[in-house]
This record gives sequence, C-alpha cells and structure tokens, in this order.
Amino acid sequence: MADTASSFSLTVFSSSGKLNQLEYALKAVNAGATSLGIRAKNGCVIATEKRLPSALADDATIRKVESVTEGIGMVYAGMGPDYRLLVQKARKVAQTYYQTFREPMPLAQLVRELATVMQEFTQSGGVRPFGCSLLLVGYDAEEEPQLAQVDPSGSFFFWKASAIGKNMVNAKTFLEKRYQDDVELEDAVHMAVLTLKEGFEGKITERNIEIGIVGPDRRFVALRPAAIRDYLGEVE
Amino acid sequence: MDRPLSHSSFLPPLFSSAPHPLSPPHSVPHPSAAPSVNAAERPARWSPYQDNGGTVVALAGRDYAIVAADTRFSVSFSIPTREFTKITQLTDRVVLASAGMGADRQYLHKMLHTRLAMYRHQHQRDMSLPAAAQMLSNTLYSRRFFPIYAFNVLGGIDSATGEGFVYGYDAIGSHEQLKVVCSGSGQAIVQPVLDQQFSGRQRYSVPDAERAPSLTLEQATALVRDAFASATERDIHTGDALEMWQITAAGVRQTRYELRKD
Repeated sequence: MADTASSFSLTVFSSSGKLNQLEYALKAVNAGATSLGIRAKNGCVIATEKRLPSALADDATIRKVESVTEGIGMVYAGMGPDYRLLVQKARKVAQTYYQTFREPMPLAQLVRELATVMQEFTQSGGVRPFGCSLLLVGYDAEEEPQLAQVDPSGSFFFWKASAIGKNMVNAKTFLEKRYQDDVELEDAVHMAVLTLKEGFEGKITERNIEIGIVGPDRRFVALRPAAIRDYLGEVE
Repeated sequence: MDRPLSHSSFLPPLFSSAPHPLSPPHSVPHPSAAPSVNAAERPARWSPYQDNGGTVVALAGRDYAIVAADTRFSVSFSIPTREFTKITQLTDRVVLASAGMGADRQYLHKMLHTRLAMYRHQHQRDMSLPAAAQMLSNTLYSRRFFPIYAFNVLGGIDSATGEGFVYGYDAIGSHEQLKVVCSGSGQAIVQPVLDQQFSGRQRYSVPDAERAPSLTLEQATALVRDAFASATERDIHTGDALEMWQITAAGVRQTRYELRKD
C-alpha cells in the first residue's frame, strides 16, 4: 500500500545476506574522483582531484575539502550533494558538542557521530544510504594526528594512509610502497600530490586539485591555489 | 555524544491563573480573582519546592581546591537528619556541592553521574573541569521553566596545569569561574568572611600589599572551618557537621569536623 510503503526501509537484506543498496552506494563512491589522506607524525594531509564538469565551470566555487571545526577537516569521494549535507551535519554536531562541553570535539567522537548518522540512513523508512565515503583528519584527545574514513554503511576505520574513489586501488598500492610511520608532514604532502598525479588524466594544476592540512598547531587549513602551486612545483 | 534532555515533560503544575511556581504560596491574588476574597484567607498553594537549608562553599588556591558543606537537613524549624551529604565527586579531580532542596540535589547528582559515565565510555577518559562546568550549566538551563532547586558550587583542579578553579551557579545555570564562592542558607554570613580573609577585599585595616595573601591548603582549610563555625552560630539551618573535601594533584581527601548541633 502506497501510504505505508515509506515507513519501511528501502535498504533491505538480499537472500545472500548483503545490502544491495550499500553495494550500489559503494559503486557510486568508486565512480567518484579520487581522494586520499595520509597521517604524518606531526599532522595529516587530505587531497582530492577536483574533476570539473567542463572547462566552462568556475573551479573557485567548487569546494571539496571542507573544514568542520577549527581543527578538523574532511573530503569525500562520490556524490557531491550528499557530501554537502554531511558537512552541514558534521559542523552542527561539532558545535552542539562545543555548546555542551565548551571543548573542541575530538575527531574520534565526531567520526562516531557521523558514522551513526550514515548508518541510520541504511535502516530508516523512505531514505537511501549516502553516496559518498568520507575522509576526516584532525587531532584526537591524546594529541595525536588521526585520519579516519567513513563509508556509506556507517563503518569507520582509522588509517595511516588511505584512498577512496576511482583510482583507489592504484593509489593505495602507491602509498603502501612509500609510506613510513615517521613520515614528516611536508613529505606526506608531497606524497599525496605524487599519488594524485599517478592516476591523473590530463595535466595536474593548482586549479584541479585540492589539499587540506592539519599541522602541529592543530588548525585545519584548506590550501589556497597559490600554496598548491608551490607544492606542485616542488614535486616536478 | 550526550543527547540533550527532552524537556517536554518539564512544565510546572500551572493553571492559567496560578502565580509563578517559585513564589511563596501567600502571594498577591490574581487580578481575575473575586475582589471580595481576602488575600489572607486564600489557602496555601502546594509548592513543588522545599528549602532544606545548609551552606556550601568552594574555594580555589594555586594548586588546590576545597569544597565544603555542612550536613544538616532541615524542613522549616525541624531537623529530619543531621547526616545528609550535599557533596558528590564527579571525577578524579572535580567535586560538586549543592545547597537548596534535597530531592532536587539528589536527582541532579544522579543525572550528572550518568552523563559522566556515558562520557567516560565514549571518550575513554574523564570529563575535564571546564567541560563539566559547562555541562552542569546546560543541564540546569534545560530546566529553565521548572528549575532544579539546587544552588551549586563546583570545584576542582585543571588536569593539565594542576591549578585550582571553582564555579558558582544559580538555579538556572548562570555560572562564573571564581576563586571563592558559597551558596545556601548561610551564604550571606560566610561570603563576606571569605571575601575578606581569602580574597583580601575590604581589608582596610591591613596595608594594601598584604591584603590578599596566597593561602596554603592548611590555612584555607582552617579558614573554611572557622567560617562554618560562624555560620553555624547565626544560621539555624547550618550546623551538625562539616564535610571538607580537599582536591589536589595527589587526589581528593575528605575530612569531617563536628559543628554545633543546636
């Protein structure tokens, strides 16, 4: 019956024990432009390909790397509009936390909350899962830099380095070869740029990639094109 | 993250012509009441609140905090018990004391312990003093229209620096970080004593430079004991025994001193 249909979940188990909607959501993620993150010993970096719909698009108005709080930033692979909503939710959750505890929300807590939201959309009536995976960076309560990934299912993982999106397999292989536990933040940024460059179609410029960094000062910054150009010059 | 309280059920038992729940039963009659009814003949209205008396004090030194309270529980001129603690320990280094109504105090302390336990499970560490202070304020304000009749003082030491801090609250969560604060029935007696002897205010008999000595933990403890002894003399709702909680980097120590029982 049409009026009761929306009270049932659209995400139901298949006979083989899978949630097809989540499989398809991951397909949407894997069709998205590559994003990656690297945890250094003194900070974290996230980077993404800014795949523009056409040369006529105004690249300055497209923002994939976003800050959630002063000290936490995120990026995604998959559906842009779904991501926008998650950024808003993350920001609100962080502010609510601050309003209650007058302390910046630790990354691990934010990741849990966001993952809970995403899980709810796999088990609620009339909604579909989010079509993006997220990478979040920040410092945790023990003063260590952290990189976390959240998937459409709501599962989350903390990584030393990870990639999501179209070129994730090659990117992860590339990172596995190069990653060291004690890598410095600057080297991690170079590594991130090189990894993006590996799978890049066309010429990589400061206008078609985005980079975000959180350093020892605990402040997350989305780099300006000028700063990105400097890094591109350094890896030439 | 802790979910905010749902406050749809927290409304005072009001009917349209009722006075404010915190006002005493014999208040000014509502304009719509029959004009011939004498205000003095109006029956006393039931109040959800009761003042169980008592005094609470908190003060902070450079590397310590003291939270102290008497243990008398009064109902108007009677004493149902002489052994009722107003103090609760929230974390390793944070202690809360509440004056006012015993039932609301118990409820508040129980609720805060629950919130702190949830925080501890989720964060894998204790709540810090500033976070606890803000959370208490928010908890009280969430009951803005049916207040928790507890007048709180929160004391502890900052986990990073070891410095002592105290916070004073009103019933609806307005709070302030201070060095010395007190609340309860003996507040008007104890506050000026501490203002002068601990904070060095209005100490005109002493040269400026010597007015605000930095008291040691032992000196501060003695001062609080004396202040409570004074309050016990003049305030009928304060007395029986004094619970003194000393918070330092080494931990929390509780001592009990007798006070006059009359």
